[in-house]
Amino acid sequence: MTSLDQPVEAVRPTRTLLENVTATFIGRPSMIFAAVVILTFIAIALFAPLLAPYDPLAQSYLVINAYPSAEHWLGTDQFGRDVLSRLIYGSRNSMIFGITAPIIAALVGTTLGVVAGYFGGIFDRLVTRMIDLLLAFPDLLLAIIISAALGGGFWNILAVLSIAFVPGFARVARASTLAVKQEPYVEASVAVGLRTPLIILRHVVPNIAAPVVVLMTLWVASAIRLEAALSFLGLGTRPPYPSWGNIIRDGLNNIFGSPWPIIGAGFAITLVVLSFNMIGDAVRDLLDPEIGQ
Amino acid sequence: MTELLRADNLVKAFGSEGGFHIGARKQPVRAVNGVSFSVTTGETLAVVGESGCGKSTLGRLLLRLIEPTEGQVHIGGVDVTQMSAAELRAARRQMQMVFQDPYGSLSPRRTVAEIIAEPLEVFGIVKTRQERRERVAELLEQVGLPPTLMDRHPRQFSGGQRQRIGIARAIALNPDFIVADEPVSALDVSVQAQIVNLLQDLQEAKGFSYFFIAHDLAVVRHIADRVMVMYLGRIVEIGPKRSIYTAPQHPYTQALLSAAPEPDVKKRTKRIILSGDVPSPSNVPPGCSFHTRCPLAQEQCRQVRPELREVAPGQTAACHFAEPNPIKLPVSAPAYAS
Amino acid sequence: MTRPLLKISDVSVEFGPKANAIRVVDSVSFSIGAGEAVGLVGESGSGKSITSLSILRLIPDPPGRIVSGSIEFEGQDLLKLPANRMPEIRGRDIAMIFQEPMSSLNPVMTIGDQIAEALMLHQDLDRDARWQRVIEVLSLVGMPDPAARLGAFPHEFSGGMRQRVMIAMAVACNPKLLIADEPTTALDVTIQAQVLELMKSIRASVNTAILLISHDLGVIADLCERVVVMYSGRIVEEGSVESIFSKPEHPYTRGLLQSIPRLDDDRKRLYQIAGTVPMAGSVKKGCPFYARCDLRVDKCAAEMPPMFEFSKQHKAACWVTGEAEQ
Repeated sequence: MTSLDQPVEAVRPTRTLLENVTATFIGRPSMIFAAVVILTFIAIALFAPLLAPYDPLAQSYLVINAYPSAEHWLGTDQFGRDVLSRLIYGSRNSMIFGITAPIIAALVGTTLGVVAGYFGGIFDRLVTRMIDLLLAFPDLLLAIIISAALGGGFWNILAVLSIAFVPGFARVARASTLAVKQEPYVEASVAVGLRTPLIILRHVVPNIAAPVVVLMTLWVASAIRLEAALSFLGLGTRPPYPSWGNIIRDGLNNIFGSPWPIIGAGFAITLVVLSFNMIGDAVRDLLDPEIGQ
Repeated sequence: MTELLRADNLVKAFGSEGGFHIGARKQPVRAVNGVSFSVTTGETLAVVGESGCGKSTLGRLLLRLIEPTEGQVHIGGVDVTQMSAAELRAARRQMQMVFQDPYGSLSPRRTVAEIIAEPLEVFGIVKTRQERRERVAELLEQVGLPPTLMDRHPRQFSGGQRQRIGIARAIALNPDFIVADEPVSALDVSVQAQIVNLLQDLQEAKGFSYFFIAHDLAVVRHIADRVMVMYLGRIVEIGPKRSIYTAPQHPYTQALLSAAPEPDVKKRTKRIILSGDVPSPSNVPPGCSFHTRCPLAQEQCRQVRPELREVAPGQTAACHFAEPNPIKLPVSAPAYAS
Repeated sequence: MTRPLLKISDVSVEFGPKANAIRVVDSVSFSIGAGEAVGLVGESGSGKSITSLSILRLIPDPPGRIVSGSIEFEGQDLLKLPANRMPEIRGRDIAMIFQEPMSSLNPVMTIGDQIAEALMLHQDLDRDARWQRVIEVLSLVGMPDPAARLGAFPHEFSGGMRQRVMIAMAVACNPKLLIADEPTTALDVTIQAQVLELMKSIRASVNTAILLISHDLGVIADLCERVVVMYSGRIVEEGSVESIFSKPEHPYTRGLLQSIPRLDDDRKRLYQIAGTVPMAGSVKKGCPFYARCDLRVDKCAAEMPPMFEFSKQHKAACWVTGEAEQ
């Protein structure tokens, strides 16, 4: 038998995923900032009843359009509702939609895209046409059309937001799959006799995960923005229940009475959206197998 | 010597699939056009030719990684082209492949152990994690890599080491037949010899047959038992190594042998220089497809395609003028004297 | 011998941040005489391409920079020349052809325009004379019916023909030195033979010096008079092709020549150099070939050997063979 006892000096030091994650965090102060912001907002949404000083729906004609004070840290709106409490409860809707909708859209869209890209044929043509059709509408317009057809309510809003994002994921997943399918390692796995579903799960999906995950983090921001826009237009979360979007809408009518709802909600949206975008950038670098060596 | 593999009249046409086409229908490209040959047990058949000659497509047809347009491939007497998907998967245990690109052919996110163990898992050969690691360690040793590296990722290895990993995967199932698609052409010169020797040692130990695809005739001389020369999708010459190298019959084989520059200063005086380029496979010349570049071409060659005929024991060539006394092509004079 | 056309002395190139820079070319010195063909041979990471790029100061900076040495072209140090004078040298005095003939040509410009552009930059010719010259160089490189092909775009040509166009462009201004970086690596064997033949005939007709960079010793043996062998950023051997190919003195060159399969040889087993090619700059101390060398002694790990002279035309950097010779 062959014996080739030779030095293998070219083998480079290995780095675990954990080390990569740590390096990414330490290398970027912005990541720490983003992580803190997002975790804080998730905590706020989870513990809203404990944190909110007032009932977000309770009106009080004694303190209408109040300035910030010791009792009302961010003042009150035109119905005398506590702005801080409404922002805290509003974060629940915004964070739930913001995180769930991109996940659902990513699962559905990636499945469609991978299957279409890998197998081609009629199914691929159908999916591609559908993507083209849906992408022809701006996502807000699309969301408006669908929610006008479906009506409001929590589940419908979630459906609207998810559907609006599916074509984007499907397109990215399909394009990446077409590229990965050409890679020799996919042919190699056919040659060893691996079944097609396993080829897709083991060799295709992990190698298209990077763009999909990046897209997902970027669209968390879009989902929060879109929910806000829908609520602003009266198609999202229904008053009197708060979401960051309808807080801004209500605030706009009363901007001269009290600017605090707009300032507070606008600040919260900006902060969260910015943080998710930062995470998206970092995740992209982290998932690239060639970076971080 | 028993016959292990037989290919009969294999044809692969690209671009002939159905569907809507706007504008003129493109002529299908016959990348492989009526190729028949056989490989015996333990033998290495090398196929050489320039880009576009169909050698890579042919290798994939043999393993049915792509579907043939016409023709059959028998391995161990069973027709691979007629197998159902399940039968084909089962048959993959006997036929494996080593790829040209040591970078692209290993999945970047999987460890070496996962890559090498994949065929073993597919066929249920290893059951437990312990068994799997033992078998992978054994295979890594056989290809000259330390088993301690099995949990690393491919990107941590050099090109030659990656090629060893690819070879370990191919031999994991003890196949009868391995298609090696230019396994050394992407490697550094000083590493090529290691891989060529490894492939030979493994063959001696395990007795499988190689279908060795190459463009480097010198490498082929070392590894092949028989050599097949292809030009534009067809076999132009096939025969035992010794006769191909010492008495090539087809003018193309002669030109190919003479064109390869050798690291030897004394060799640079004599060389056959073919004129022109390899024609596009989508526009193959009529008659003998080599006639546009052949210094011997006659009217007959433009009209009639020469069939492969035996010119010496075991050696066949597709040339009207091939005969036991090899024809001599004009050789260019050196452009300058050194 | 008169002053060489190009004299590279002690050139080092580093990549990456200054603090932990990687030295990919380390103290490289060699020269090329007028009209001489020199081969620069090495494997991946040997620094051969970086060395050739440094002659034209084409190393991307950052991350790379030439940290020491001089590159004298006709007595003038190119490294001291102001950056805005380099374009005059490039193309006119020193021309370069690359490995990939497709990406080196502009796909949306006709080949006639591309060659004419090179002429326009460096030669004071009127329109008619310029086109005359374009046709002339195209026929020089064996383009059939050159006048008719002036308006053709690169994609209309095969790989071999594109490489001919590249060569036409490079020799249009009669450069004194032609740097060819793996000019035939992407080509098929029979086409490679054509291009090599063309380069020989061009050399005979315009008397340009050639620096041929290649990993293929066969190509070098075919075209060059002298060879410079690089390994891991250093020159390990240098000499005439005759002496190096018949009697290599560095263990690396020996191993390389022995490990290459030959057409006329039936040895069953090939000689093999163990181990892998080290990444550029990874060997910090001693001889870069130490880890793979059959002849190594302790001294090799400690100290980089100097270039020992074996004959007037032949030098090699090896302690073992070098000291035996002294």
